[in-house]
Parts: sequence; structure tokens; C-alpha cells
Amino acid sequence: MKTFLWVIVPYVSIVIFVGGHVWRYRYDKFGWTTRSSQLYESRLLRLGSPLFHYGILFALVGHVIGILVPQRATEAAGIGDPIYHVLAISLGGVSGFMTLSGLAILVYRRRTVGPVFSATTVNDKVMYVLLAGAIVLGLLATVFGNALAGGYDYRESVSPWFRSIFYLHPRADLMAHAPLVFQAHAISAWVLYAAWPFTRLVHLFSAPIGYLYRPYIIYRSRPQGLGARPIPRGWERADIRPRRQG
Amino acid sequence: MTPDRRGPAATPGLDGEVTEALLRLGRHLRRGETSADLRTIIEVGGREADAFYRDRWSHDKVVRSTHGVNCTGSCSWKVYVKDDIITWEAQQTDYPSVGPDRPEYEPRGCPRGAAFSWYTYSPTRVRYPYVRGVLLQMFRTAKREAGGDPVEAWSLVADNPKRRAAYVSARGKGGFVRASWREAIEIAAAAHVHTIRRWGPDRIAGFSPIPAMSMVSHAVGARFISLIGGVMLSFYDWFADLPVASPQVFGDQTDVPESADWWDAGYLIMWGANLPVTRTPDAHWMAEARYRGQKVIAVSPDYADNVKFADEWLHAQPGTDGALAMAMGHVILNEFFVQRETPYFTGYVKRYTDLPFLIKLDERDGYFVPRKFLTAADLGSESEGAAFKTVLLDAATDEPFVPNGSLGFRFGQQGEGRWNLDLEGRDPLLTLAGGGAEAVPVRLVRFDTPDGTGRVLRRGVPARQVAGHLVTTVFDLLLANYGVRREGLPGDWPSGYDDPNHPYTPAWQEAITSVPAAAAARIAREFADNAARTRGRSMIVMGAGTNHWFHSDLIYRSFLALLTLTGCQGVNGGGWAHYVGQEKVRPLTGWTQLAFGLDWSRPPRQMVSTPFFYLATDQWRYDALDPGILAAPGEAERLDASSTADLIARSARMGWMPSYPTFDRNPIELVEEAEARDEDPIAYTVGALRDGKLRFACEDPDAPENWPRVLTVWRSNLLGSSGKGNEYFLRHLIGGDSAIRDEEVPADRRPREVTWREPAPIGKLDLLLSLDFRMTSTTLFSDVILPAATWYEKHDLSSTDMHPFVHAFSPAIPPPWQTRTDFDWFQLLARAFSDMARVHLGKRRDLVAGALMHDSPDELSVPGGAARDWKRGQCEPIPGVTMPRLTVVERDYETVAERMTALGPLLDRLGATTKGTTFDLTAAVTQLKMKNGVIRGGAGDGRPSLLEDVHACEAILALSGTTNGSLAVQGFRDLERRTGMRLADLAEEREGDHITFADTQARPMPVLTSPEWSGSESGGRRYSPFVINVERLKPWHTLTGRQHHYLDHDWMAAFGEQMPVFRPPLNMSLLFGEPQLGSVTELGVTLRYLTPHSKWSIHSEYQDNLLMLTLSRGGPTIWISPADAAKAGIADNDWIEAVNRNGVVVARAIVSHRMPQGTAYMYHVQERVVDVPVAETSRKRGGIHNSLTRLAIKPTHLIGGYAQLSFAFNYLGPTGNQRDEVTIIRRRSQEVTY
Repeated sequence: MKTFLWVIVPYVSIVIFVGGHVWRYRYDKFGWTTRSSQLYESRLLRLGSPLFHYGILFALVGHVIGILVPQRATEAAGIGDPIYHVLAISLGGVSGFMTLSGLAILVYRRRTVGPVFSATTVNDKVMYVLLAGAIVLGLLATVFGNALAGGYDYRESVSPWFRSIFYLHPRADLMAHAPLVFQAHAISAWVLYAAWPFTRLVHLFSAPIGYLYRPYIIYRSRPQGLGARPIPRGWERADIRPRRQG
Repeated sequence: MTPDRRGPAATPGLDGEVTEALLRLGRHLRRGETSADLRTIIEVGGREADAFYRDRWSHDKVVRSTHGVNCTGSCSWKVYVKDDIITWEAQQTDYPSVGPDRPEYEPRGCPRGAAFSWYTYSPTRVRYPYVRGVLLQMFRTAKREAGGDPVEAWSLVADNPKRRAAYVSARGKGGFVRASWREAIEIAAAAHVHTIRRWGPDRIAGFSPIPAMSMVSHAVGARFISLIGGVMLSFYDWFADLPVASPQVFGDQTDVPESADWWDAGYLIMWGANLPVTRTPDAHWMAEARYRGQKVIAVSPDYADNVKFADEWLHAQPGTDGALAMAMGHVILNEFFVQRETPYFTGYVKRYTDLPFLIKLDERDGYFVPRKFLTAADLGSESEGAAFKTVLLDAATDEPFVPNGSLGFRFGQQGEGRWNLDLEGRDPLLTLAGGGAEAVPVRLVRFDTPDGTGRVLRRGVPARQVAGHLVTTVFDLLLANYGVRREGLPGDWPSGYDDPNHPYTPAWQEAITSVPAAAAARIAREFADNAARTRGRSMIVMGAGTNHWFHSDLIYRSFLALLTLTGCQGVNGGGWAHYVGQEKVRPLTGWTQLAFGLDWSRPPRQMVSTPFFYLATDQWRYDALDPGILAAPGEAERLDASSTADLIARSARMGWMPSYPTFDRNPIELVEEAEARDEDPIAYTVGALRDGKLRFACEDPDAPENWPRVLTVWRSNLLGSSGKGNEYFLRHLIGGDSAIRDEEVPADRRPREVTWREPAPIGKLDLLLSLDFRMTSTTLFSDVILPAATWYEKHDLSSTDMHPFVHAFSPAIPPPWQTRTDFDWFQLLARAFSDMARVHLGKRRDLVAGALMHDSPDELSVPGGAARDWKRGQCEPIPGVTMPRLTVVERDYETVAERMTALGPLLDRLGATTKGTTFDLTAAVTQLKMKNGVIRGGAGDGRPSLLEDVHACEAILALSGTTNGSLAVQGFRDLERRTGMRLADLAEEREGDHITFADTQARPMPVLTSPEWSGSESGGRRYSPFVINVERLKPWHTLTGRQHHYLDHDWMAAFGEQMPVFRPPLNMSLLFGEPQLGSVTELGVTLRYLTPHSKWSIHSEYQDNLLMLTLSRGGPTIWISPADAAKAGIADNDWIEAVNRNGVVVARAIVSHRMPQGTAYMYHVQERVVDVPVAETSRKRGGIHNSLTRLAIKPTHLIGGYAQLSFAFNYLGPTGNQRDEVTIIRRRSQEVTY
């Protein structure tokens, strides 16, 4: 059981996550979309969407610091345990609250605004359950497992286990003794990752960051070829027109 | 000076420092070259996604076709095909030019047209032949019982009351199963053969409307029906699109300007026609002409889409347009004829209208009543046709003279060369005022009463004695009728324009129409003033909004008077522009020969649909309308009829209107009876009728031997579209469930001459056969459905009244699944029919009774249009004179299939006659033999082939003057002999042109000027009707040979309609016990119920198209005003029920400020296949728009056998009008079930 939960599940999830995205990109390029519902409703969306997205980005940063960065590194950077905890609880709490309230607004909107609800698929509903589950459990872990119950130092167990997966030397026993709420959060995350490539969450990889530093207008000239197709043998361009000087 | 559009100088740079910094950074992060201003980036490649859209728009071929729907657009389309799948369509752009310095046809082709390809693969596509399971099983069983003989099998099913009831009552309740095409055809053919044998060929009927929208598909079925002696049912009058006023005034049916001629008008009134909605591809001319200085007026009860294009909006209340037009006529007559003379108008009306002709006045009860036209016979002439030669007074000599051009000159030997409008230098008197005339009081009639009944109107005219008769002119009568006062004349005259009490002043109309008196007078003045300045370039575009009323003929006559008085008819840019349906088959002669089998046998059986369905669906049993109520004061007794059904029977036996089924006996047996007694069948029939041993079927329409038995419907949705009185159709003709709420009329109000039977028959039809490519409200009730090809799957031809070109349908793909073209289905049916006929029918002789025909010497049978009924002893029954023309026709039933597929020999012998002009077709037939090939063997041996649809297309084009120049020239030469006028030059410029089918496939082909029509395209001119009449002095096909304001038929006098008058819509509460308009009870609010033509649903496209439904509310809707909605507590989008005595409709309400108070719109043809819930009122599936309507037949539409008031198919007949109806609307439970 231990091996299944903390070794097999992560690897299977990672394989599905990576393979799924590759598959989806190749076979469903035109389905690679957020399926935005902004057209149907924008008032609630304007509030809920940034709350949720910035919240979850903060949470991501938190996870990077908390899980990927070894305790040694933070200490070496001069961030001691108390400071770390204050930061983790306050920033984690704020980002968790932002994420959760944003999500609540989005779910409320999705259920009550007719056209948005009509545009909601079963796939979306499953995704919402998985996403909400992971977030709620994560927040519980932060609040209960960390602040209230006197503190649990996941950086001793959860973080090394997580990193160990990527060293290809998984240490399942580290996780086996973690509090239930951390275990549940970890499992819910792996399930979410496994579902990820098949939902609208793929838009994570299409975040429009390039727009920040790209001019509005792109001219794409044809490469050497015939239209958009590769040049079959014998069909090479005769080059009888003078090429435009670039 | 041009304004500076650049605004303040733009500062270089983007949105701010940060943005620019990011973009500058981006230069290093991206491949490609960023421009100096940081706004663009140039990259090489990255266009892999192009392949996607290139694939999306790549295709294998493009095929030209068009849409065979009743749309006047007739746009040519490119149909794209990819992997043998029709993928999309796009507009063609290669129309012929309309000439320099004017806008062209393009852009044309609307979104509804572009949505058509959806049907090819739609879920409602009929893919296989279907037969209702219960019928199919019974037929199979019966076939075994009958030893494999399908005809006997059909007899065992249809003649067995129990079996018959089983499948008849199942109609409309689903239960279709797939059948093989062989079996479906076998059932249909057996029913036809058996019906001819048992009941007679005139118990078989075919209904297929609007041939112009796909001529060959129409013609092939009509040819089959006609060759077997079946009855083709009319559509134009049935739809109430047919303006009865057109034959009444012009002696011609719907000859109108092409839409490009709107551009030529200086003043344009859109009157009940919503151009941007129903004439979408042509509306641009109306919009463009305004930039040329044209003034545009919209007359419409609602704020319709066209109103916003107009300079002014006259919001006449529904059905009151006649009052407005009469008041405008009053102003024009007063200001342009009486107060001052307008030389152009006076010259025009003297030459081209009946206004100067003399009318006899008879004295009755101290009044004088206007009677008949004074004729040469009254002057003592005994020349040929003297009773049909009308008389003028010469202004110079003061003597009466008989001018050329009247009906008396049209057909006889003596009239040759004299049937023309040449007055030979004489100037006729327009009015008798002055010059020793006496002022006599004349009895006229007004109908502007609350209950719509007639009241006497006494007004004087100047009159004189001529040849012992007191006479006046039509013009003098017209002035009296319009209430235009002249000094010294007695009577009740209005005191001025502001007199609200005396018709027909502007103030009088204001109370009726709600249009301000000053506006009515001003528009009339402007309209006429423009016509005077431009010599007739004022135009009225009129449409269904004014044309579907009970009294529409009067509304139209009052419109047309505005145009004839101002000299606008026969002038480019002027005249009436009546567009209600795609009715004009430009290659008319060729289509007529093919469609009615005139190349093999004549005459065909052609029936007016309104009386046919009125009797067949038993609507007459509910119709309590006493025709006497409609009569002029004191005339009801003379009319002596208690019901409309009586008048129909009378009209039939006098030969006025056709009547099929004709007799209460099989017409084949009738001939056999006569032959058995060695008597002449015609004499025998007349004798039997006189003795009462034989009766007309319409005198006993409910007797089983008089029912129509087989009805074939193709290219049509009879039950979902035009079937006025839908619930009566369903109960009495079909036998399915219905929601009639009315009672049959009580015994004391029933017809006197028509037999009443109890109980009323349920489900008269033995077989309802339909051919369609989609499931419709009609196919759902059919017994057998044959899957038809769509418009992208066949060869055919299209033409319209709005464009002088003809172009092709071509198959983009072959008909998919088990569908076939109509052409193929009817060939198959004919083959199966002939095989069975070999055993059961063989050669027979059939007695055909036909009405007295228009454009034939039949018009001369009764002088003065006297109504004389032989059955009531008023005259002798003489076939072709006082009763229908009787003809014995050979029917070789074994060779029907062979005749179908070969062009018969009668064309060589008799030629083809269209509107009185005879074409010699020998050269054209010879050409066709080479073009189509020749049939070998059988009945059609050596004749041109019609085996394929392309052959039929070629035949239509080769046999018509509009598409074959040499025929046009030859037809004009024929007409030159009769008129003595030069005409052939109109066609000589294109004498060598012969449009072939390949030409029409290449691009739309402009047609040629031909005597089949009254307008001219010569020299690239825009088509406008009657320009040949005006410019070449060719007479109109009327009594006087001129345009008529006055009709002297007995019945026109009886109903007080000799001249245009205003009659309000029927008062449904008084006549039929419906609640008062506008009343509110717990049952809801009572509103006028109109069914206008909609943006798609039939006139461009059908309502069940998913793409179009997605753009609308997606189901049946009724429009009402906010005020009416408030009265009944209805909010927008609520489910409502509309109920009246005829049935129930469930729909959603559209509450809109655009609607006038007191009126509800349910747009035409919202199919019962889409979102029709169960009604609370009837507990049955809520009906369609026609569930609330019922036929009301106007008696004067039954007139025939006299001058221009003679029958021709789709030319004259009672209209199936429905606009006068009312309904109660209430909010229903919002929980709907299906």
C-alpha cells in the first residue's frame, strides 16, 4: 500500500501528465483551449478570475519554496525556522484564501449564470471537484497541520519525499508517517495531475506571457516552400519573381 | 474644403515607459525583426496552421444551382463539393448587366439561401420511401388475397370500410416504416389505377405550386396527372396571392416590373410589402434609388423593417388600405382632373383606360343605376361581336363611335387588323358635363358601415340620350363614386377634404385608417405631381399585407386606379409592382405544353383550389356566411342564394369556374352509358343534366362517389403552409385528429341547392402521396412518402417576375440514399401505372367538362355578363355557352409512360396558344428531335425524347418565345395580323438567339421580348409590363381593350362593386360570433390575427432550418403589442394559446413595441415539426398558423365566362384569403408537454 500510494501513484501520474499533454497537443490542437466563458458573463469573472489565478500563482511559489527548495538552502540564505513559518503561514494563508474565494466565486458563477452553466461539461465538473479538493486539502494542511496543531515540519518528510521522486529514488516511508491531511493533499494533487491533460487546465502551458514583450502585429512571411506545405520533389520554386528585399 | 480627419497629431511611442521597456527586452527574447517603432515584428515561417484553413476551404468542384423555394430572389449559387459531400454554397456574381449608370443585380444571395446546404444531410431529410406500417401490412395481406394483383389489393384495402378506417385514422400519428421504392410506387400506382376504374380520373388530384421555382419538377408531375385525366389544382388564387383585380383591371394576371425598374421610379410607395425582409436580394435598388432623389413611402400597420428606409410612414390600420387609396384617388381626381386639367393624364386615360366609354343608366325606384357598357349592338350594329364593341362619344362631332380594340374585334374575321388602340385621329369625350347633358341622380353604394353592409349613396352625374339609351361616361361615374363634387350635380357630396362623413375624403379615411388626413392628401398630391412631371414614373410596390383580405380585389382596384389615373402603367419606373410569390414562368409556352400534356391531349383538367378544398374539407358545412349580407342594398333577393356553396354550384354549372370532380358519376362510365345507348356522349350528358338524372358533384360534395380520392403533393407543404382551415383539412379530408371548435350551421341556414348529408364524412382521401426531401407538416399526414432530391441534386430551370433571366439547377451530387428527382419518381410511377393499366384500364373515353376560357372566344358567350342559370330555367343548357364546355378525350392508359417520355404530335398539328397568340412549333420540334434524340417504338415513336430531365429543360426553352427568338418573332407576326400594329421588330434584334440548357448552366441568361408577356426587354431595356400596349397600341385583354375602372357583370352590380369602393374587413364577431376586436375577458384578449410572410419559412428557406432557428427563438412565436400583452398579463417569451372557433395554436409571445395595438402576427409556415407543445384547450398537439383560419369565399371571385372575367388556370379564381380573422390570446400554463 505504502509503495502504491507514494511510489506508483506519483510515477503513473507523472507519466500520464507528460504523455497526456503530448498526446493532446498532437491530436487535439484545436481543442487546446480554456473554453473561456467571458462572452457569457464578465462581471463576476472579473473579480473571481484574478483572485483565483494570482492566488494559485502565489501558492505555486510557496510550494516551490516549501517543497522543492531543501531546508538547508533556505537556512543558508538566512531564513530561519521561525521566519520561515511566519512567512509560510501568512503568505500561504493569504494565497490560499485568495485561491479559495476566487474559486468559490467562479463556481458560484458557473452554477447560477444560465449560459455559463449550459456551457459546462461533465469534464469541467470533474475537474472542478479535483481542483477544489486539492486546494481545500492544501489549505487545511497549512492551517491545521501547521498553525493549530502546534506545527508539523513537512520539510522534514513531505519535501524530501517529493524531491526523491525526481531523483528516481523514491522514499515512500518518509510519507507514510506524515499526518493524514498532508497525505490526502498529496494524493489529491497526483490525481489532479493525472486528469490535467484531459481538461481545460492545459491552458497552463498557453499562458499569454509572451504578450508582455511582443509587438501587437506579427508578419509571418512564407519560408522557402509552396504555401504552408513542404515542397515535394520536382516542385521546387522556380524563383522567377524577384524576392522582396527584407 | 475637406475636413481634417487626422485629428490631433499622433505622438510616436506606445503606451508608456514600462511597456516600451518590455518590448525592447522582447527584441532579444524572440526571433524575428522588430520594427523601430516597436509595433510590428516580422518572422519567417510559423505558418503551419495555414494548412488547416486551406484544407477547410479546399474542394473538388463547384456546381451552379439555385433554390427551388417560393422566393422571388432566384439567386444563382456556387455549390461546393468535397469528397462527394456538399459542403457549402457561395453567391454567384455573373448576372447579366442591367445596363450602364444604374446599380447591378449584385450583391444578391442572402444568409437563408446560404443555409440551404444544411438540408442535404439534415436530420429531417427523407432518405427512404416510407409507408405507414398499418397500411403496408394491409396492402401486403391484400395482395396475397388478390393473388398478387396490386390493383385488386388496393381495392381490398381502400374499399373495405374497416381496413380503410384503420389506416385513415392513423394519419398524423407516426408509424412510418421503410418500404422499398418498388413497393411504395406499386401502392401509389395501384391507387391511381383503381380510382380511375372505380370513381373516375377526376377524383385524382395533384398539387404542386409555383412552377417557376423549378419548372421541370413541376411539369413532370403535372404531366402525369394531366395525361391520366387527373386534376391539377391551382395555387396562386389558393394562396390568396393572386390579385383578382389584375384580370379585372388589366385582363392579364400579374405582369409586373422587374426589381431593377424600381430604380427608374421617381416616387415609390411600399404598400403592404416589406422589401428588405421578403425581397432581400433586390431591396438594394429601393435603397439606392433614394440617392437618386426618389421619394419612398411606406404604408404598413406596424413599424416593419422597411419603414426605416422610407421618407414617410403611413400607418394604416390592418385591412383599411383601401380607404387610404380611395381618399388619395379623391384628391387626385379633384386636383388633377377637375380643378385643373393635366394634359398627360387626360391624354393617357382617354386612350388607355375605359374612362371615356359610355355606360347605360337604368331607372329604378326613382334612381338611376349604372348598368352595362353601351355597345355597337345598342347602336343597331349587327356586325360580328357587336355586343362586345364598346362605344365612345366623339368630342368633335358629338356622335357616338365604335373605336378599335374592344373585345368584339379580337377573335372574328372582321376584327383582323383592327384590334388595336388607334383612335384614328378622333378625340373621345371624357365627361358629358356641359354640352346639353342633364344631371341625373345615380344610386351608388357605400360599405363603410360598422357592420360592413351596404348603404345607398346618391350622387349625380351628367347624362345624355344616345341611341335611345340614357348614358354617362365611366369617368363621370368615377367622379361621383369618389365624391368629387362638380357644380350643378345633385346628391350627397362632401363639403371638402375635411368632411369626415362623406366618402371618400381625406378626413373620412382618417377615422378608419388613423392616417392623418393632411398626410394622405399630401402624399396623393406628390404621387400624382411626380407622375405628371415624369410622365408616369410613380410606382406602388404592393404585397401580401394588402392582398390576403376578403376584399383585397377592391383594395387593389383602388391602388390601381391611382396608377391608371396618373398614366403610370406601361411606363418604365411606374405602375403596380405586385410581388407575392415567384409566379412568373418566363418560358411560359414551353412549360405549359409539357406540364399539361398538351402535346398529347387537350383540354387538361385544371381546378380552382379554393372551392375544391372548401368543399373537400367540408368547410362549407361550418360557413354561416350569407352572401346576401355582402350584396348591395336591394340586391340580395335578386341573387337568391343562401350560402356560398350554392354560388359555387351555380358558378360550376354555368361554366364560370371549373369544377372537379365534375359529375356524380365516373366520366368514363358516362361516355360508356351514352355509347351503350348509341347516343352522342355530350348530348346525352346535357340531357341527363337537364332531366336531373345527372348532377354536378359540387351539388353533393359529401357523397362518397364525389370525394376526391387520391391527392399527390410535391414541391409543396400543403398542410403546413397554404391549407387555410388546417383543422378542417385534418378532420374531413385527412381523417386525423383535429381541434375544430365550431358547430356546423343550423338547418335553416344551410345551402338550398347543395345536398346536406349526415354525418359529415371523415377522411375523404384514399391516398395522400407526397414527395419531399424533408419531413414537413404534410408528409406527417401522408400515407406514402417518396424521398425527393434537393435543389442541389437535379437539373431544372428557374425564373421569376423580378428578374428577366432564366437559369439552371444542376446536380452537385447525385441524389443520396434512396432519394430520386421528382422527374424520376413520376417516370417510375407512370411506368408502374401503365403496366397495371394494361390489365385494368386499357383505352377509355373520358368526358372532360371545362370552364369557359380566358383569351378565347368563350369570353364572348354571354353579352353584358348576364348571370343566367339554366338549372333555374333562365336559359337553355348549351355546352361552351351557358354551361361548361364538354369534350370527349381519348385516354390510352397503357401508353401513359410512353407519352410521358416523348413530346407528342399535337404540337405539330395545333401549335401552342398562349394568351391568344398561336405559335407554330414545327421548326422548334424538329430542332428538339436533333437536340434530345428521337424515341424509337411505342406510342412516342419518332418523337423528340423527354426521357431525361435535361431533355425537358431543352423542350421548355425551345418551345417558348422568351427563350427562342424565332418563335418570339413568329408570335409577334401572328399578333401583327390581328392588331395591324408593328410588333415583330421588338424580337427581331434577337431572332437568331436560342437559349439552350447549357447556356443557362453557364450563367443566368437574359430572356427575349415575346408576345407571351406585355413588356419589352428590347435593346437591353428594363422590363416593365404593358409597355407594348402603351407604345405599340396593342389592346389589353379586356372588354374595352383598355384598363378597366368599371366592371359591368351582373354580379359585380349585385355586390355594389362596379367601381372601386372601400369595404372594411369582415366583421367576424357579427358574422361568426367571435368576440369583439379588442375585448378582454377571462379567456384573454381578442386581436386581429394576421399571418404575414416571414423572413425565411418558405419565402427563401424553411422554418425548420437549424441554422436559422438558432438565430431566432427556435420555435413557434406570435407577436403582440405591449398594450395587448398587458391586458392579458403576458410577458415576453411566455407560452400563450391563441384560440378561435377554428382551432388552437400554442406559441411563445414576442411582445414588441413594433406591433400596433389590436393586432397579433403569427408568421406564415412555422412548422409543426419544431417545438409544438400540447394545447390546454384541445389536449391535442397545438396547431399551426392555419389552425385559426378558415376559408371565406368572395362570391364575385366566382364570376366567369365573360370578357376578362373568364377562367384561366392561376389567372382567375376565388382567393383562399385569411386576413380578416380574429383570435383570443391568453397566457397559458408555462409548463408545456409534448
